[in-house]
Amino acid sequence: MGLKSDSIEIRLPFKAEYVSVVRLTASGIANRMGFDIEAIEDIKVAISEVCNKLVCCGGEREGVYRVIFTLEGERLVIVFDSEDNGLQCIFDEDEDALGISIIKALMDEVELCKSGKYLFFMSRTVEQQFKG
Amino acid sequence: MQENKTQCKLVLYEYQQYADREGEKMPGEMDLKIGKLADKITMKLSGEVDIYTSQGLKEKLYEVVESNKADLVIDCTDLNYIDSSGLGILIGTLKKAKSYGRNVYLNNMKDNIRKLFSITGLDKLFIVN
Repeated sequence: MGLKSDSIEIRLPFKAEYVSVVRLTASGIANRMGFDIEAIEDIKVAISEVCNKLVCCGGEREGVYRVIFTLEGERLVIVFDSEDNGLQCIFDEDEDALGISIIKALMDEVELCKSGKYLFFMSRTVEQQFKG
Repeated sequence: MQENKTQCKLVLYEYQQYADREGEKMPGEMDLKIGKLADKITMKLSGEVDIYTSQGLKEKLYEVVESNKADLVIDCTDLNYIDSSGLGILIGTLKKAKSYGRNVYLNNMKDNIRKLFSITGLDKLFIVN
């Protein structure tokens, strides 16, 4: 029997000033799920790295990108998507080495390039020992 | 009762971090105060350094290094958040300082910031106190 999962979605313009809004949202969701403060900070940093890259890729584009949080029990899945179907891989392994190393170190699962429906995928699960 | 406490924690978490203390920066804000102590330039960096605020930080830091050609001591006590764009600017500042034979000291970093320096190996590049 599968667990019922809740989904929360934000749509943002490709503008740097709104990345902090995603961090605040992530903070509230992760706290609700029972992540400790250190893990919440990790998730915020990882999310920002992806948003930064989307904003840079987005340039002067008029459209929006989506950040979708899915709460699967103790696992938080975060996917990113854009209306621009041309975007396949927002990260460059060489140019973005710093950002990639940060995301991979802070999240449990990371898919850097488009696989299936979404442009970027990452997840993190609540660690049992930190649960109150 | 237990649940109420948890709910309060949820509501207060961000406010405790950013807004409860006087002078604290709100999310998405950054501030840099500059002073001088002996032959070193001292700076107090506070708030959040992200893709939006980092450009302003870059201009200030580079200007200070160029005009003083002195060691920089950056107090990070009230720095709540930094991402790779901010780290890139600190690296650029260090390179600039080194070109004048100077150094950059990073003091009093919070654990979440220190962790990023450790992950990226930057703790070996800067003098972290």
